[in-house]
Amino acid sequence: MEFLTPKKLIVKILICLGLLLLVMMACTLVGTHRISIAKAFSRTDQPPGQNIDYEILLIRFRRVVLAAIVGAALACSGVVLQAILRNPLADPYILGISSGAGLGAIIAVLSGISGQFWAGSPISAFAFIGALFTVWLVWFIGHVAAGGQATSLLLAGVVVNAFFSALIMFLTSVARSDQLRTTVHWLMGNITEKDPTVLWVSGACILGGIVALFTASRGLNALTFGEEQARTLGVNTVQTKLIGFGFAAFITAVAVSLSGLIGFVGLIVPHAVRLVAGPDHRQLLPLSAFVGAAFLVIADTIARVIVAPAQLPAGVITAIAGGPFFLILLAKYTRKVTLLK
Amino acid sequence: MNIIEVENLSFAYAREPILRNLTFAVPRGAFLAIAGPNGAGKTTLLNLLCGLIKPNAGSITLDAADLNTYSVKSLARKVALVRQEFVPVFDFTVAQVVAMARTPYSNILSFESEHDRTIVAEALRMTNTARFAARTLRELSGGERQRVFIARALAQDTPILLLDEPTSFLDYKHQVAIYDLLKRMQLEKGKTIVTVTHDINLAAQYCDQALLIGPDNSYLIGTTADVFSSSRIENVFGVKTFTGKVGQRKFFLPLGEFAKDVRLINTSLNGSSEK
Repeated sequence: MEFLTPKKLIVKILICLGLLLLVMMACTLVGTHRISIAKAFSRTDQPPGQNIDYEILLIRFRRVVLAAIVGAALACSGVVLQAILRNPLADPYILGISSGAGLGAIIAVLSGISGQFWAGSPISAFAFIGALFTVWLVWFIGHVAAGGQATSLLLAGVVVNAFFSALIMFLTSVARSDQLRTTVHWLMGNITEKDPTVLWVSGACILGGIVALFTASRGLNALTFGEEQARTLGVNTVQTKLIGFGFAAFITAVAVSLSGLIGFVGLIVPHAVRLVAGPDHRQLLPLSAFVGAAFLVIADTIARVIVAPAQLPAGVITAIAGGPFFLILLAKYTRKVTLLK
Repeated sequence: MNIIEVENLSFAYAREPILRNLTFAVPRGAFLAIAGPNGAGKTTLLNLLCGLIKPNAGSITLDAADLNTYSVKSLARKVALVRQEFVPVFDFTVAQVVAMARTPYSNILSFESEHDRTIVAEALRMTNTARFAARTLRELSGGERQRVFIARALAQDTPILLLDEPTSFLDYKHQVAIYDLLKRMQLEKGKTIVTVTHDINLAAQYCDQALLIGPDNSYLIGTTADVFSSSRIENVFGVKTFTGKVGQRKFFLPLGEFAKDVRLINTSLNGSSEK
């Protein structure tokens, strides 16, 4: 009989980490400007502006790191929300995060606030606040007004999403064309170069969030059987749900504030990993983080080079590439299961 | 000594009383059947016993401690619950499902210990489910799935086992297999078993005690032989029944208006009816 042991899990995590680092390195080297590694690292002590290869490499690497952080956060958030809501269609945005963040972003654009918030742009800061506020609102409505069942939370999420989307549409219809462009670009999900401080802070936040979610993973396993069964199995369901929703919302909000609304990663990656590695969250959660990271790094690299010198939003690539890839995986694994019977 | 003591228990859903002033006790190591018509509150009583819902009045004592003093975790070490037919959303394997029973014993690392694995393997062996340990629940038949959930309840290693109609969707062979398994748990492991059932005849064959809950919140507890009498079954369920005997145990056959042998009961009731 196969049991998951810490040793097996650590081996799998190390393999995935190695693969992710390979993907990140490869994607850093890909780009419109050909780079000679030897040249880039031969004289790194040169004054700025001299060693172009090194500087381009550095800028690309930061962008790759950002994609990895965002991809990991979205995938993990998707895993947790699918478990708690017991709904395979759930994604990180299902509880209103997308429309809340979108509303925050468009308010920031329209009000024309400038300056820096915590090394981030005003759009990031407003999107972050909007996302967290919406999740709180959905949780509050779901619990106070409708008793906190999975369905009532979903309904609250749908209603709040619809309402905020209407507000977003209203605001875009009154926006000037230059403001409109910034907003639409943000709503499509876009990975751009960020300051190292931003990367460090958000990376640490997301890593911390994923570790916190991991501590709840055994409770999440039981929760997929429904709240009553989870409680008779000794799981404090209120606590597990609070940790799950709270940290999933937090890492999603951080990711969204960095990159806008990148769809599909949080829906597809959990399913893909579950098909291959099974639904045990102690394994599903960390593996999804790596797969999500690698997936978004690759998608963003494609977005960067495919229409060069122009760039596509990464969200376009995740949707175009993710859909068929997932269907292939689904067909392959469902067939395998039927053959086994 | 009584492992379950229920005193003056009352419960109502939105003013509709389901259970009223229920008082009974279950001795340690007993096998109790809870019977009664639909809506009489059998499942509600099980939910009350494992702390999923709180009573409006009265108290439940488990293993000499009030139910309210248990934490979720410590209660899960006392009581295991097997629900009716259920297929989860995600494809956990049989081994993973049974291993979930060790959640209330998990440490901070949240991985199964060597001891946990031994208990899971033992539960799979006893329920005869070890051979499909690597399959998912979706790939099993109803009877097999039910055995897996009983295996999970066994691996939870609790003195009390609650079941909600464990045989309702099963054919004769699987019904008997489940009751044999439960009886073995009672005799070999000393577990106290409480099962909600609609099958009076199987309950009469296997259970020591019966709690019959009527539609009017009345109830009766005693040995199965005492509780299940034909007049009481007819009263509580509101249906004519034919009562026969196999050895010492009575059996009951419900017969409706158009049943082929319904004339038979009318004559037999006039003749050799038992009270």
